[in-house]
Amino acid sequence: MAGSATASKALGRVRAPRDPWQGVLALSYGLLIFFIAYPLGELLFSSLRAEGAWSLVHFAKFFHYHSDALEHSLYVGVMVTLFSAVIGVPLAAAVTRWGVPGKALVRALVVLPLVSPPFIGAYSWILLLGRNGWLTRLLEAGGLPSLGTIYGAKGIILALTLNLYPFIFLLVSASLTSLDPALEEAAANLGATPWRIFRTVTVPLLTPAILGGALLVFLTTLADFGSAITIGVDYDVLPTFIYKNFINEMGGEPAMAATAGIILLACTTAVLLVERWYVGRRSYVMSGLRRAAKPEVAPRLRRLATALAYGIIGLSLVPTVVVVVTSFFPSDGPIMRPGFSASNYLHVFESVPRAMFSSLFLTAVATFVCVVLGVLIGYLLVRRRSQWTAGLEGMLMVPYAIPGTVLAVALITAFGRSPILLTGTVTILVISYVLRRLPYAVRGVTAVLHHVEPATEEASVSLGASPARTFLRVTLPLMAPGIVSGAVMTWVQVISEIASTILLYFGSWATMTVVIYQQVVLSDNFGPGAAASTLLLAGVFIPLLIFNVWQGERAAELM
Amino acid sequence: MSVGLTIRGLCKRFGEREALAGVDLEIQPGEFFTLVGPSGCGKTTLLRCVAGFARPDAGEITCDGERLDPLPPHRRNLGMVFQNYALFPHLSVRENVAYGLRARKAPRALVAERVARALEQVHLAHRAGDFPGMLSGGEQQRVATARALAIEPRLLLMDEPLSNLDAKLRVQMREEIRRVQRALGITTLYVTHDQEEALALSDRIAVMNAGRLEQVGDPLHIYRDPATPFVAGFIGHTNFLVGAVESVAEGQARVRLQALRSQVADAVSGVVAPSSDGAAGQAVIVIPAGDVAAGQAVTIALRPERFSLSPQAGANSLPGKIEETVFLGAVIRLRVATAAGPITVELQAQAAEGLHPGAEVHLAFDAAAATVFASPTDR
Repeated sequence: MAGSATASKALGRVRAPRDPWQGVLALSYGLLIFFIAYPLGELLFSSLRAEGAWSLVHFAKFFHYHSDALEHSLYVGVMVTLFSAVIGVPLAAAVTRWGVPGKALVRALVVLPLVSPPFIGAYSWILLLGRNGWLTRLLEAGGLPSLGTIYGAKGIILALTLNLYPFIFLLVSASLTSLDPALEEAAANLGATPWRIFRTVTVPLLTPAILGGALLVFLTTLADFGSAITIGVDYDVLPTFIYKNFINEMGGEPAMAATAGIILLACTTAVLLVERWYVGRRSYVMSGLRRAAKPEVAPRLRRLATALAYGIIGLSLVPTVVVVVTSFFPSDGPIMRPGFSASNYLHVFESVPRAMFSSLFLTAVATFVCVVLGVLIGYLLVRRRSQWTAGLEGMLMVPYAIPGTVLAVALITAFGRSPILLTGTVTILVISYVLRRLPYAVRGVTAVLHHVEPATEEASVSLGASPARTFLRVTLPLMAPGIVSGAVMTWVQVISEIASTILLYFGSWATMTVVIYQQVVLSDNFGPGAAASTLLLAGVFIPLLIFNVWQGERAAELM
Repeated sequence: MSVGLTIRGLCKRFGEREALAGVDLEIQPGEFFTLVGPSGCGKTTLLRCVAGFARPDAGEITCDGERLDPLPPHRRNLGMVFQNYALFPHLSVRENVAYGLRARKAPRALVAERVARALEQVHLAHRAGDFPGMLSGGEQQRVATARALAIEPRLLLMDEPLSNLDAKLRVQMREEIRRVQRALGITTLYVTHDQEEALALSDRIAVMNAGRLEQVGDPLHIYRDPATPFVAGFIGHTNFLVGAVESVAEGQARVRLQALRSQVADAVSGVVAPSSDGAAGQAVIVIPAGDVAAGQAVTIALRPERFSLSPQAGANSLPGKIEETVFLGAVIRLRVATAAGPITVELQAQAAEGLHPGAEVHLAFDAAAATVFASPTDR
């Protein structure tokens, strides 16, 4: 760049034609500054102001009276991360190394919990083990001792662990697959015993994957609102603490919500920074020439591994199955009656047809906006590299760290009053969805675009196609798989979003997630809640299924 | 101090495919022994059986009077250099080289001394603190060698250790490997698909094909006196002439050659196989009779450098027309169309001056340098 600039100067100032992508760059900066930096600034501001002056009184108060919310968040985060690793790492080893049959099936099933909304998982554990849960009543009827309450920390940890362990499983099994078997052979050749090889070669090489996955799990747990509010009840973690303080018109303190929001954001940002730093520093480029040969596994070990793997997967699928089955039982409040009927669905269709429309409409709009922005920004980042795009790339990391609850509170703080009044509009819902999902959509595009030779586009231009035509006819079709995968992931995440929706929705724009929350948490209306949850799951899984069938083998690497 | 390796009746199947079909091999102490052959010929499988990463179905491997095959890989004490080096990316060069000694719980001082010496041997002492990712391909290769040598193994096993390097470095590194091997006198089993590398490095070579040893011998012997058409075709360039013996008299055999359509190089192995329609052609040559008999079908292998240009027709000269000339520096390679099919000829550059495609020439050859094989009858 610099070289060509001086060269053109020497030749007497050739003015470069105006690049429309500079407009896109400016627009992206504008969006991120106005809708992320500014609201977060407002949030910070309101946490630091008391009675018209700068003050740390809110922070002092938080740590004095409400530090248990932070402690709970950290405790749940650590436990979920720990259990996820305990489940995810051996499962990955079992599937990639010990010849568990049905590898493809296992991989498909393992991903399911990851995309199903955590609060539905939590809800279904209530259906099973809650006050009026099936198992609870079964145990009571049999005169057996109760398993203790599922509400509180225990329930959150159970639900989130079974929801999030796939993060660790996926990263570790990818790492195990790319691990060059020659490394372990080299160690054996040099005289290391199998245990020593595992200790000194395998584990150190897997550490980046394990820690990378663990940090992702920890981050997601810290940000989780849905399962904590569903099954945590009075056990407040930071997101539910923020929500309750913000929404409660009687005893709530918006300033306390803002303060807790800043504290939560500090935690998630710290985790994200550690993750980036660590993964960046410790990724080994493996030069695997040879695919791993299937090692010979003793039949007994294989049988054990198979039982273990399918046991864990079965357990993590329990929530989905329970919800779907429950939705077909006629119910009367929390009391299930035997039989089979579609009455719950009729109830949902009659009482909240609007919610289904809201969910689909908002998700569709948010996905569309997200994809368009994702394509433009993704192209910009890969093909128009400069220090400006590097800055943009950095800013795009911010949404990864923002929990939905915090973003919603920040948006309301910033846009809840004139001159820019956006609360109580559909726009703010869409904005909150787009902001949080934009990095994923961008990443889907850049991942594909990095593999497209710039020469392909240059060839098109050299054949006389204008840059615009080249973009539409060559670049865009080549990016299509990335765009579609970004769209599917955005759809899946947005349709099951609850943390910011529950704060930002108004009037008739309650989505399915809000309805489920109201049916289940607020009114113990199990049947219709299960039916609504099943419909929501369909809204998540059907696009995923279509995408997988369409892309076949490639689907996994695009996700 | 160096020990030999004995392999007897080694068999290994992968499903339907026979990777090793009963291999017998005797490697002398201190020898640099190379297994060479096209990909899929079983050479790597043989090496991995010795290292213990593949379990033979039958046969035995003995080293220094001890059966190796019942031992797990980590108890065999054989240093192996892997094709992609398999350096531990999370360990420094020093820690990589020390790995095997640490596994043996060698005392600290000994580890330090041996690591230093091994790195010295490959001229990499100054990179001891670096990580493998920071090294060039050649340096990685040398670390892999040092790591294998540091444990003072009974044998050194090398699995295509130079195949990831560019051509120039490859030549440099093979001299390096040879130097270290000579200096230590360590018995070395080396695997490569590159016949030139095999010729340049080895004390002895085994040419492998389809899980069998085609020929075992020193490089000169294998090049001059290939035991089978496969060896003749795989090691160096070879022209095949196909014909039938008309008569044998006074130790000389008259052979009527067939017109070959082409000398087809096999895409995978690079081995040239003659392709003929079986019709007898015009050309007749006279070769030493050896043990051929009248009426027998024979395949004659002649190296490109065994031909010369003669000014006029004579005994054992084939008239032909130059189709192509390729200037290779010291030599010029000609492709000449003859009545016996296309023939590749290599001449000293000055002997070929002024030759150009289209020129009519006579190819003379030294009949004593021809290798004669009885043609397989089941064609």
